[in-house]
Amino acid sequence: MNPIGLSALLLEGLVLALMFTVFVADLFLPAAKNRLGEIVAAGLAVIFACAFLFSPRTGSAFGDTFVCDGLALFFKVLFILTAILITLMARAFLKKSPKNPGEFYLLILSALLGMLFLASANDFILLFVSVELVTVSFYVMTAYLKTDQRSVEAGIKYLILGALSSGMMLYGISFIYGHTGSTQFDAVRGVLSGFETAPPLLLFGILLLMAGLGFKVGAVPFQFWIPDVYEGAPLPVTAFLSVGSKMAGFAALLRICISVIAPFEKKWSVLIAALAAMTLVYGNLGAIPQKNIKRFLGYSSIGHAGYLLTAIAAGGLSGARGVLFYLLSYAVTLLAVFLVVVFCSLHFETDDMSAYDGLSQRSPILAGSLFLALLSLAGVPPLSGFFAKFLVLSSAVEKGLVWLALLGAVNVVISLYYYLVLIKRMYIHPPVSRDSIQLPLSFRVPLYFLMLAMIGIGVVQNPFVHLATSAVSKFF
Amino acid sequence: MIAFLVIIPLASALVILLMPENQSEGIRRVTLFSCLATLLLSLFIFLSYSVNRSGIQFEINRPWVEALGIRYHAGVDGISAVMILLHGLVSFSGAMVSRSIKERVKEYSIFFLILVASIFGVFTSLDLFFLYFFYEMAVIPMYPLIGVWGSKNKEYATMKLTLFITGGAVLALVGILAIYQASGLQSFDLSVLQSHFAANPLARPVQQWVAALLIFGFGVIASLWPTHSWSPIGYAAAPSAVSMLHAGVLKKLGPYLIIRLALGLVPDGARFWMPVVAVLCVMNILYAGYCAMVQKDLKFIIGFSSVSHMGYVLLGLACLNQTGVSGAVLLMFSHGVMAALAFALIGFIYDQTHTRMVDELGGGLGSKIPFISVCFVMTAMASSGLPGFSNFIAEIMIFFGAWKKFPLPTLAAVFGILITAIYLLRVVKEVFFGKEKETWPSLRDAEHFTQKTPFVLLLAALLIFGFFPSLLVRKIDAGVKRMAEKNPSVFEVMP
Repeated sequence: MNPIGLSALLLEGLVLALMFTVFVADLFLPAAKNRLGEIVAAGLAVIFACAFLFSPRTGSAFGDTFVCDGLALFFKVLFILTAILITLMARAFLKKSPKNPGEFYLLILSALLGMLFLASANDFILLFVSVELVTVSFYVMTAYLKTDQRSVEAGIKYLILGALSSGMMLYGISFIYGHTGSTQFDAVRGVLSGFETAPPLLLFGILLLMAGLGFKVGAVPFQFWIPDVYEGAPLPVTAFLSVGSKMAGFAALLRICISVIAPFEKKWSVLIAALAAMTLVYGNLGAIPQKNIKRFLGYSSIGHAGYLLTAIAAGGLSGARGVLFYLLSYAVTLLAVFLVVVFCSLHFETDDMSAYDGLSQRSPILAGSLFLALLSLAGVPPLSGFFAKFLVLSSAVEKGLVWLALLGAVNVVISLYYYLVLIKRMYIHPPVSRDSIQLPLSFRVPLYFLMLAMIGIGVVQNPFVHLATSAVSKFF
Repeated sequence: MIAFLVIIPLASALVILLMPENQSEGIRRVTLFSCLATLLLSLFIFLSYSVNRSGIQFEINRPWVEALGIRYHAGVDGISAVMILLHGLVSFSGAMVSRSIKERVKEYSIFFLILVASIFGVFTSLDLFFLYFFYEMAVIPMYPLIGVWGSKNKEYATMKLTLFITGGAVLALVGILAIYQASGLQSFDLSVLQSHFAANPLARPVQQWVAALLIFGFGVIASLWPTHSWSPIGYAAAPSAVSMLHAGVLKKLGPYLIIRLALGLVPDGARFWMPVVAVLCVMNILYAGYCAMVQKDLKFIIGFSSVSHMGYVLLGLACLNQTGVSGAVLLMFSHGVMAALAFALIGFIYDQTHTRMVDELGGGLGSKIPFISVCFVMTAMASSGLPGFSNFIAEIMIFFGAWKKFPLPTLAAVFGILITAIYLLRVVKEVFFGKEKETWPSLRDAEHFTQKTPFVLLLAALLIFGFFPSLLVRKIDAGVKRMAEKNPSVFEVMP
């Protein structure tokens, strides 16, 4: 045990330094002001490399309230990767509406910082603080287009509902603290495993905590904000919300479920299974009638939360492994989707799905990568999404949740339907105009990378399964 | 070596991906050579599969995902050797027929080759994970292939087809996962699981619901009544090569996987459901037969006819004895070749006349396009089970097998042959014979070598195996026998 253990905080420190650099550059260096996007992207790329090269050895800091273990690192790498691609999207977006780009990049970085801390949080206080850091950054980013009514509305909606959920979470934490006398995860777990029967108020606390986290991940019945906020927010923010924020929520939920409240697994797994079932059905049915691509992706992201909750409800090593693999595939795939969508929305200046008509003849690369990404989301081999769903359903069957696995299977068909509707627009419908679309290198290269990743993860699953397994094996 | 059946088409798809779009001729050539290579390879595998050392040959077994016990285990037994040959024949003919595709050739060829590769993948895999992996991979290229290059009502048809088949597949997936978890072996390997379940069979209720998921899940793609409705409409919309592959081969994945998984792993559960299947088969045979009698579109007639024929295949499986199951596999081959030939011929006519309506085509095509007409009449004869074609042998075997088990359904099925003859002879009479109409002055027969090859190839397969069925039957029998020996609770092996 290491009381300060700053070496474990390497990545967080680097992000903080990058924030400082951006801040200074934005204020005092007019020459760098126009190149902020490149600076942030390059800085994040360096941090991404550091995450592999000087792999910050597993350790803990601040008296074990912060741990940097395999699980945390797994998420951190994904968060940084997400932030890099979001920066690229933001760069394209800010070229069109250049209002205080420095602020926007700083908010992305502060949200990233919050996510990095969240992945490592081993204490309810740190957990709460980092969740707040993430969400407060998002409140501002969502309402970033101050003159756009929908953006402001989305920001306020998100703020009110977010504050409510934070309140619930904090209230829940206070019950847990009251029963266990600690906020540190290992200590809480120690006390919990001593209980023979769970005290009702403690369960109530856990319920509130779940509700708070359920809001962050967009689980039914806490999903109401998602379509509206996704629609109103600027697109890069929508992307960051649906990839980064959702992953962060699951990072916290997973760690709490497999480490802190694992002794009461029988109690909460029923609850999560019920949430999972509702989330699956709601998200997938809700996506069918959508005409706006952002709302469409919002509902589909609810559906995916359903699969992730299924894996959490299944629990055990295979469930946890399923969650990690699913999130890996989800991040890679959804980032590809958003790269295409951000580019198309900026190009077409509309979010309506009819703009995608005949895309395959105007830009084979845009249509092709969206085609692959949507099929991966639907869970079609040989793409990564298939194996992710395979692991999730397998863990549900292992746990005996065959009904949930069947429901998940049926939802694969439903989701395939609405993804195919978009694919139909791109490939079968006649194009809206004949002019071809040129894709800049800053979109082309990441798209190639992500397509390769989707196929690579989907075909050569072994190293990634191994990675996911070793990240969570210490908890079982 | 067996892996090349999958690798060659996929690698060719990759090559085509890197080729410029305007080089249509080059792209066609790559597709054709790739399919020719796989045809030759599958022919080699079929011929060199030795019945004397039965069991799995050309085996590869490599670990794939260690944490879950997934292995890339591939190889052929008697059943899959025959199915590989079928797929090799049909996909090569399909690639030849695809020359009539003129638009967006690059995308078409890529999807087509992925489809070809995945079907080879299913027939060669001996690991549950990969069986499912390739199976699901085969379904998806269908969507753009029909949606973009199809005709008549294509958007509706392709969506229906994709969703129906995927729906069946995911239900079966839950069944596969249940088998995996119930065995507790951490293995997806078919032979390992088979030996394990032979010694320690699963509890009967578990077997029953798992078998239900597998039989009715994979039954969808075999167009088991009442989940057949995607099939005629899908074939009618699809471009010829896709109808050929779908009706000829893809549909056979259903019974193939039922044999492999339901009969092989949960035989007691399968036995429980087989009377139900037998009744549904009769519905297939009679209902789809009646539907075919009143259709006006040639492709709908052949589409319903293929639904009807799949009824015989499933009836053969349902009787759970060696004669019946072997007959079913033989019919899978014969009907596959026959259906592919029929769709290729209709496609040939449609490309020139742009109609498939029986009344619009009128009569007397026989004198205008004698080669095509002869081929079609032969196909119709094969389809109605005339001796001299392998369909006849297959149907006889199925009836012999089924008579003991399900006398009434068998009687109804035999009556189905009459229906088949009625609707096919009607087509032959109204389209090819009769008084010549002056509507199609520019209609030309297949003249060029490349035009004739696919028809000749498929017809030759029908005739060769019709006169020498033992070439197929011995291999199929070896495969079926091996399965029954591994797990005797499927059925008793005949000496």
